[in-house]
Amino acid sequence: MFGWLPEWAQPVAEYVLHTGLRNTLIIAGVSVLLSIVVGVVFGTLLTIRFLPVQAAIRLYIEVWRGLPIIVTIFLLFFALPTLADELHFSALNLDTMRASILGLSLWGSAQIAEATRGAVQSIPKEQHEASAALGFGWVGRHTNVILPQALRRLIPPLVGLSVGVIQNSTLASIIGVPEVLEAAQRSTNRLAVPTVDPTTLSIEGGDSHALEIYLGVFFLFFVISFPLTRLAAYLERRLAQ
Amino acid sequence: MSVLASFDWSYIWERREVLAEGLKVTFELAAIGIAGAFVVGLLLGAARAYRIPVISQLAGIYVELIRNTPILVQIFLIAYGLPKATKSLQFEFFTVACVALVLWGGAFNTENFRAGFEAVPKRYNEAALALGFGRIRTFLNISLPIGGRIALPSSINTYISVFKNTALMTAISVEELTNVAKQSIDLDFRTWEMIAVLAVTYLTLVWTLSALIRLLERRLALPEER
Repeated sequence: MFGWLPEWAQPVAEYVLHTGLRNTLIIAGVSVLLSIVVGVVFGTLLTIRFLPVQAAIRLYIEVWRGLPIIVTIFLLFFALPTLADELHFSALNLDTMRASILGLSLWGSAQIAEATRGAVQSIPKEQHEASAALGFGWVGRHTNVILPQALRRLIPPLVGLSVGVIQNSTLASIIGVPEVLEAAQRSTNRLAVPTVDPTTLSIEGGDSHALEIYLGVFFLFFVISFPLTRLAAYLERRLAQ
Repeated sequence: MSVLASFDWSYIWERREVLAEGLKVTFELAAIGIAGAFVVGLLLGAARAYRIPVISQLAGIYVELIRNTPILVQIFLIAYGLPKATKSLQFEFFTVACVALVLWGGAFNTENFRAGFEAVPKRYNEAALALGFGRIRTFLNISLPIGGRIALPSSINTYISVFKNTALMTAISVEELTNVAKQSIDLDFRTWEMIAVLAVTYLTLVWTLSALIRLLERRLALPEER
């Protein structure tokens, strides 16, 4: 598959695309799904005029949106496990993969919650009143009438969020998840170590190829993100009409 | 909750000098990044809005390249990739961090300012031209103050992101706040104390900046929107 590449690049491409890209897509995919589920529920609840709930969700949004994601990931990966020992609750012992996914989901769900609140509140009051007149309760009103309309307005920000999550999934490399960037970095480190040919005793390699590898990663992300940002812009324009 | 009980305030106090040093580096990075993003955004945003040939197209490509790739990849490319192209592009990592922040913030800010300048009603510019203003004076006296105000809230959002992105420089071991705190954790295992310092510091600053946006938005609203 990578036969057209120079010899040093073949195992790099293999590792970055098969292991790295796979992990990146798993992290991003699961994070986007979690963000949507939690974000839509919290965003809808935020429109209820009940102060304790509003205050709690507001705090959730402002904290996870305000912290740099890397600090959230450090909190989940380095600090939570000390609680796990303390409380004998081993579920808090997150591995690197789970800590990254959870960190991105906390950030993503905060973004989606805010967008959902805006979308739900943009549905005219008459829709609420009409569905109430038809005998729907709060839950029925929202699941059958309000949310289906609000979700249409949510699609552009959702596509935008996916791009953000895919890009921010590279933060997982800082705690050592072998996603695309970490796979690339390991490859440059491996190539930088010269090898000695056992028969001729000549020293070979020792070039990290960092420029080619990081440029490759740069364009890999561009190829994934660019169509998605175009799509988000197109959907936004179509919705505005 | 013995974690709470064992929370050691005196440890934070002990590390205060190291932490303050880290915060200083964070502020330096943020100040350079924000100032650079402002200049790049203003110039390229104007070039985009007024369709200045060549510069406008190049700025468009720059914006798309930066906005569609992770900043961490950009940092690694500048830190480790570019020096392999020519030795003259070998910088110390603090400089790399500044360049990455300016490039990133500048791209987002170009879009903010472009949108701002394009939102200035045409009739204002026509009125200025009718009064005998030249093109440059029309820009300086009409488009800049009005479009700049329209772009202000979104550009402050970009500055907040630039500030948060300084934490990423941990990855290239610049000694900013997050990195300094992380090193303390590795040394003494007082994890919660250091994470608390990070959370409180970043949230305080980000929340203050966001509150500032809301204040400015009201203060700088165009007279006809008040």
